[in-house]
Amino acid sequence: MGAVACDVFEDELKVQSPVALPEDLVKGKENWYATLCRTGPSSEGVVVRVIEGRAKKIQGNPNYPTNLGAQGVWSDLGLQQLYHPDRLSNPLRLNGEKASGRFDSITWGRALDEVSKALESRDGAVAMISPPMRGHSAVIADEFIKAFGGKRIEFESLDLKTYRSAIKNIFGQDIQPHYDIGNAEYVLSFGADFLSTWVSPTQWQVGYGEFRDSEHSHRGIMTHVDSRFSVTASNADRWIPITPGQEGKLALSIAYVIIEEQLYPSGVDVNSLTSGQGLSSLAAYSPENIGNQLGAPEHVLGAHSVPELIRTVAREFASHRPAIAIGGGTAGASTNGLFNLEAIYLLNHLVGSVGKEGGVILNPESPVKNLKATSNAHTLSDLEELIRDIKSSKIKMLIMNNVNPVYGSPDWIGLEAVLNSDDIYLVSIDSFMNETNQYADMILPDRNFIEDWGNDVPEPAAGYQTIGIQQPIVNPLSDMDPRSSSDVLLSLAQDLGKDGNMPWKSLEDALKGMSDELFELNRGSVSGSTKQEFWSNLLRQGGWWDKSAVGQDRSNISGLISKVIDKDKEPRLSGDGDFYLVPFLHNSLLDGRNGDMPWAQGTPDPITSVAWQTWIEINDKVANERGIREGDVIEVKSGASSITGIAFVSPAQPPSVISVPLGQGRTKGSAYATDRLDGESANVLDIIENNKIEGTEGLAWAATTVSITNTGESLRIAKFEGDYESREVGFTEGEELIKTTSPGDHDH
Amino acid sequence: MVVKIEHKWGMVVDLDKCTGCQGCVVACQAENNLPINTKDLFMQKRAFEWIRIERYWEGDFPNVKARYLPVMCQHCGNAPCEPVCPVYATYHNDQGLNVQVYNRCVGTRYCINNCTYQVRFFNFWEPTWPERLQNQLNPDVTVRTRGITEKCTFCVQRIRRAEITVERRERTKLNDKTMAARNFMPACVQACPTNALMFGDQNNKEDKIHGYFEELHGHDGHSDSRGYRILEEIGTDPSVIYLKKVDQFKMEHSESHG
Repeated sequence: MGAVACDVFEDELKVQSPVALPEDLVKGKENWYATLCRTGPSSEGVVVRVIEGRAKKIQGNPNYPTNLGAQGVWSDLGLQQLYHPDRLSNPLRLNGEKASGRFDSITWGRALDEVSKALESRDGAVAMISPPMRGHSAVIADEFIKAFGGKRIEFESLDLKTYRSAIKNIFGQDIQPHYDIGNAEYVLSFGADFLSTWVSPTQWQVGYGEFRDSEHSHRGIMTHVDSRFSVTASNADRWIPITPGQEGKLALSIAYVIIEEQLYPSGVDVNSLTSGQGLSSLAAYSPENIGNQLGAPEHVLGAHSVPELIRTVAREFASHRPAIAIGGGTAGASTNGLFNLEAIYLLNHLVGSVGKEGGVILNPESPVKNLKATSNAHTLSDLEELIRDIKSSKIKMLIMNNVNPVYGSPDWIGLEAVLNSDDIYLVSIDSFMNETNQYADMILPDRNFIEDWGNDVPEPAAGYQTIGIQQPIVNPLSDMDPRSSSDVLLSLAQDLGKDGNMPWKSLEDALKGMSDELFELNRGSVSGSTKQEFWSNLLRQGGWWDKSAVGQDRSNISGLISKVIDKDKEPRLSGDGDFYLVPFLHNSLLDGRNGDMPWAQGTPDPITSVAWQTWIEINDKVANERGIREGDVIEVKSGASSITGIAFVSPAQPPSVISVPLGQGRTKGSAYATDRLDGESANVLDIIENNKIEGTEGLAWAATTVSITNTGESLRIAKFEGDYESREVGFTEGEELIKTTSPGDHDH
Repeated sequence: MVVKIEHKWGMVVDLDKCTGCQGCVVACQAENNLPINTKDLFMQKRAFEWIRIERYWEGDFPNVKARYLPVMCQHCGNAPCEPVCPVYATYHNDQGLNVQVYNRCVGTRYCINNCTYQVRFFNFWEPTWPERLQNQLNPDVTVRTRGITEKCTFCVQRIRRAEITVERRERTKLNDKTMAARNFMPACVQACPTNALMFGDQNNKEDKIHGYFEELHGHDGHSDSRGYRILEEIGTDPSVIYLKKVDQFKMEHSESHG
């Protein structure tokens, strides 16, 4: 007979004693190497963990000036790129019609031989398209193209040309500045989703963490103006919805209030800014005059009217110093985008934030003589010109250097048609098949950043001279034979005797030359008694920086306000649709460049929690009126084309706006990017109409109107949240999951 | 001789700093060999995220907020998952961690049912990776098989490496600074760009999180009174403290969505 109802004896608890978990038995030596990560909107300093020759983890490099140990959602993606099942392993030569998909795997010797012959026979008619590049890979690409008499275009779907032009006109230099958000008391941002995808998000997020740190200083206040409820809008203390293209008027109205109420600090020369005209130059922009033209709703956070709201924001912005005004994204993507951005950045002069801690910090030139601190700013118009050159046979050979412009540009520019022709010899340097290199005559597999040398002058730097260095950390797998794109270009130039301006055996050789140059400077973060020691310390640290080598304010503020006002024109819109189309970069896929990586696809969007699919954001009340429910397949139609996606009904979407993320709608490439049902994956670039930004000729991607139709089809939406809208319910007061407090309610 | 130093690990999440960026989510998946979250897993509401960002709506256009809440295993002091496991696969270790012993788990899923925070995940299928992608798998972390339950471990493999390297070999007590400097912090904490996630030893006075736990347990010593624990009224005694989101402006809104 067993014991009945007995107590648990103490000894029996030992059943639960810790077993030797595999995690307790730590085997294998780990090493961490510093390098640069290339999967985000800007390069980041990272350290890569290596065990037994395999890369296991990527983390922020704590010493690197721009990201200070932090990482973005895309940082780890390099690992999946490195070990991707669909990564190209050998050179591929077209065997048959273009776009037939028939390629032969050939040796590097034969591939380079053929490319070399093509270069020789088409000398003087060679062009290259690449993403924005800096560092020695940019120098090599430029010298290579110059040697063969062509041009290189730096292509991005949503280019930064207008932003760069505005920076140059307002701050006197086109090197992008650093925004010292961490030390700011107030951030007023327009359109730029800087906490998610805009320019250098990890850098801004690091600052944002300090900005919200009430232990160090006052908690900063942030107002965000945007025609869509973005990640940045969701983190702002106040979000002001606005009609696309009206951002500049709002900024000038804020300027009006600051001057009218004399809210600017004593050092600001308003007389000079306004060419002596004072407030009268801005009379047309008084809140009472323009408040109702902006499309901003009334009653935003207790404001009774839009003019009152503008005055409140202007007073806050001018009284919480240092304050920063940031603009980008949709604010620079209407036909009057240049005016909008200039008007926004002008506000920094008016509150005395330029070149000051907690304000706009100007970045210096690069410390190395042939390295630029900026990328080239090309636009879709430059690509259109190249297409004309191909049509007129001025360009007969095109090198695609890790870029996918057939996917990344609207169909109406006609790039696909010119590439699908035997008149052009197309070489693609890339790691995956895509919509562009399906037309290639030759595909040369490139090394991943974890396998390759490289360097970068980060743009923007953190306010002082910085050079990041990238080193090969692991070797390619034994069944892979990728080669460094820069080394391939160098060897082609050397074979044809065109390497006169490229005195390097390899990219590594060029980097060592740069290291010697930095050694001679005898300043900065890297030490070493010999050049060799300096070089290994440079690699160990992941870069070189000198906190004392800062930029200078070269702004010429004389008459600046009048110059900006002169550019004010109403935005031109295409189409007569019921909604403004506001496309946006996807949080992890960005413009689609990370689409092959399963982690990027399987990461929920922060606002909607949708993964793997294209969703169409629509206001909940509008959806209700039109009988649209979440999951319905919606056709979005513009004058250019139409796409379909899955409705995501949002309580935060402005009623007049339809927004759609970039990044999906891939048709050629890894199954992770392309294997989708009809209706759930679309490329929003296809419906953007041909509108250009005045003064920069960039694509005005927020100047299209669209109409929507419910197709009657419905699909399950792949999202992380539950099937019902997530609102906190069922808890008594004080038991909410997310508790809030007011700034004064807790002790400091 | 083995030097054993007692710790009680804990985490602090500052809701005022979390931007919902998902950096922690991907970092965790890379570190801990989580299965690839395919589209089908999302459709089935079975995506594996040891740390996830919950997003809650508040208000309506234009006075609307999206609130983010990072949720991972709360490593409860009174964990509801522990007593229901018939095979002691989940137990509380002597460092305050709620530990899952994979090779004991028989897949009853009682722990998943009983978890207040829904942070336990069941492998309904054998997780698979294409052959090349297997090169990325972290050798310090077991790949779980079909039929067992898994969850956040506070990156126990990193804590173990830290103990071996710092405490046993170098004979120095671990603290949050040495863990951060030498890549021993949990992957989510290390990744977070805004420092919304903090990790450390609740018992170590030098660690930044110590004060928050002291204050919570009724001792004086920390100046910030934003700390609370989610669903703590149930009595789970979680090892994760959340710091309240600061609302700069009060929002007047109707509770139309109840």
